Amino acid sequence: MFRRSHVALVAACAVFAACGSESNDDADKGADTNKAAEGGGGGDPIKIGFLSDCEGAFGSFFEPTASGANLALIKYAGAKPAGEKPTDGVTGATIAGKPVEIVGYGCADDTADKAIEETRRLMEQEDADVLIGPLSGDEGIAVANYAKEHPDKTFVNGIAGAQDSTLKVQAPNFFRFHPDGAQWSAGLGDYAYNELGWKNAAIIGDDYSFPYTSLAGFVAEFCAIGGQIPKRVWAPLGEEDYSSYISQIPEDVDGLYVGIGGSGLISFIKQYEEQRGRVDTERMLGNVFWDDPLVLKEVGKSLVGGVTSAMTAADSDSPEVAAYIQGLKDNYGDEIAGAGPSVFTYGYYTGMTALIKALEAVGGDVADQSKLQAELAKTTLSGDEAPWGDVKLDSNRQAVSNVFLKKIVEDTTGDGVPDVQTFARVNEVDQTFNGAFSADTPAPDRDNPKCEAGEAPPWVGKAEDVSFAKK
Amino acid sequence: MNPIVSTKRFSWPALIVVVALAAIAPLLVSDFFLNSILTKALWLGIAAASLIFLAAYAGMVSLGQVGIYGIAGMAYANLVLADGGAGAAWNPYLALIGALVIATVVGLGFGWIAARSEGIYFLMITLAFSVLVYYFFSQVTGLSGFGGINSVDLPGVVGSPETDPVPRYFLTLVVAVLVFLGLGALSRTAFGLGMQGVRDEPARMRALGFDVTRHRTLAFGVAAFVAGVAGVLSVFYNTRITPGSINLAQTIDVLIVAVIGGLYRLEGAWVGALTYALIDNYSREWVPEVGNVLGPARFNTLIGVLFLIIVLASPGGLIGIWDSLMAKVRTPRRAPAPKPVPQTIE
Repeated sequence: MFRRSHVALVAACAVFAACGSESNDDADKGADTNKAAEGGGGGDPIKIGFLSDCEGAFGSFFEPTASGANLALIKYAGAKPAGEKPTDGVTGATIAGKPVEIVGYGCADDTADKAIEETRRLMEQEDADVLIGPLSGDEGIAVANYAKEHPDKTFVNGIAGAQDSTLKVQAPNFFRFHPDGAQWSAGLGDYAYNELGWKNAAIIGDDYSFPYTSLAGFVAEFCAIGGQIPKRVWAPLGEEDYSSYISQIPEDVDGLYVGIGGSGLISFIKQYEEQRGRVDTERMLGNVFWDDPLVLKEVGKSLVGGVTSAMTAADSDSPEVAAYIQGLKDNYGDEIAGAGPSVFTYGYYTGMTALIKALEAVGGDVADQSKLQAELAKTTLSGDEAPWGDVKLDSNRQAVSNVFLKKIVEDTTGDGVPDVQTFARVNEVDQTFNGAFSADTPAPDRDNPKCEAGEAPPWVGKAEDVSFAKK
Repeated sequence: MNPIVSTKRFSWPALIVVVALAAIAPLLVSDFFLNSILTKALWLGIAAASLIFLAAYAGMVSLGQVGIYGIAGMAYANLVLADGGAGAAWNPYLALIGALVIATVVGLGFGWIAARSEGIYFLMITLAFSVLVYYFFSQVTGLSGFGGINSVDLPGVVGSPETDPVPRYFLTLVVAVLVFLGLGALSRTAFGLGMQGVRDEPARMRALGFDVTRHRTLAFGVAAFVAGVAGVLSVFYNTRITPGSINLAQTIDVLIVAVIGGLYRLEGAWVGALTYALIDNYSREWVPEVGNVLGPARFNTLIGVLFLIIVLASPGGLIGIWDSLMAKVRTPRRAPAPKPVPQTIE
């Protein structure tokens, strides 16, 4: 005989079961509404899933990334913003006469596991045909692997910069329309060796995957043309006291490439100044973190003269860039437009633009996506579609595009914060650095790539001078 | 003495009903629900169960369980064929055994050190262990690959989860039931009773001739084995493992799951895990936008608020709420025993 508590527990289980099936009903209901939408529009809707980070280290870029993707829909698919915030969605988008639906703005937290859970939710529960995203490196590798297991769907990277997601995973249905983290450093090795006359350089960076990749781009290029890297110093991520790492940097090298990011960079610069008297920027290069507005505000004066590189240039005076920024401003206001030149907004913008172009070319056919994938592989972007430089894809479906070299200069605008002046453009930067990186080379880490002389990447010596009017 | 823990047995009929429901779940729910909610809740529950086992029966609240399951997961992923990592390409079953042995041995070794401390010091030393494991795998890229180990080879019994998630679900379910029954049975053996004695009165147990440190070490070893099982299952679930899978946030999440479910009853592990998985998944759609305070992007706020409510209103977790409801509903046939107060871990 059951005791009363047993009966009660059984009842509880029944309730649980009811809840379980209720959730199931909800899922079914969701499917029903989607079907209704299919009936109501002019044909089956094209369902796009959006994946970015709303938590974790990059959580603050959730809206900017969404604004980039939405802007492409607004410009090229006739969409209207559905609300003040980009993640409120868009309405009225059509591609090749078919309605477009963003099934969800997926929110991950910069870990691969969460990115995959959100990808599953968007692709399997919300039934998206195509995914645009994710935002950060490890997530990108995971989503590229997921793509490999789901060849019938198509994936366009958001702004995740890990080399491996295209170089090694090589999923035939995963496309990246922006340069990767190593490509962002292209041109600096050439500049250091040939312009600044460095023969050897030390590198220092945070001890995790993004700086490995970022510094790998510099090492591969600098060493290929004859430079030496006698010392690599890695400081744990989140370090606030860099003094012991600064003392490890040899004094007798020609230069130093700094790959420290965020608040760490601010501490590093302050402590470097204390320990070595001044920040000798003529002997220093920095990666993408150097022209971060916060860094410039805090320690910019010490950085004047320093050179860095990136795939966008905020000071560009081209009409395409102006139209792109204006588009963001008109739809989402000044704050979102202020993040327009960030790689985050721009990566999602170029990705979505390419996707729209390819969908248009295949007549919006998402039932058999092999056509869409073949079309994406040959899609190129130019003009308004990619205001900071034309994009085409290589055989790994990875962008070949240009990057900019920039110098931090004295303040000219009167706000007390040093300015960033773009002075050169490095064209046709490809992911392999002329074979230095391939599917068989070890992934960038503390010791890789090795410093080896070799064939110079094709862009060496061909950086094109640019001069944008001062803002 | 803690009567909630030591005297109350689970009810067989309830377990049978739950398992029967779980067994027919694949017919009732979508593949997505089966994967992302039920399978996840089951393996996360096993990880939380290893924590609850230590907390409830041995009085040790450990934050080291994620470190251990990270070691098991990483060991498995490195031993089989995969993208990244060592890629030793062992047979998956052999790798599974290898991973569990490694996790248990590391657990025993670390437990031997940690068992000498108590309370907050034990909490801190286990937290340090988890952080150490995380940084080890973040920085030794030879073992974790850049961005983790992907496309991990799975044993044949799991099949191909992308096309058919049901075998993996059943495997996880069977293992979860075995863990639940196994830990429950262990707690009623002489060793289990000794462990509870050590929990309540270590000095008296020592005076009686029990080797307190050895009891604690063995308890930690058992929990490490269970955490290792969860770690391997998490790799089956994700088909990958990255250092981010075992970071500090995950360490805290497992503790949250255990506390939400109830830190004093093994069942609580799965109740907490199911609650966690449901909130995690559906809060991104359901939660209305309230200024900048609440919204779909506020999963951590929601789970944090629930955590606070549970800690303040029912230290026994959701299971504790259920128990006290039942106690009120039931008409006492004899004079009610004094209401047991869940023991706080000091």
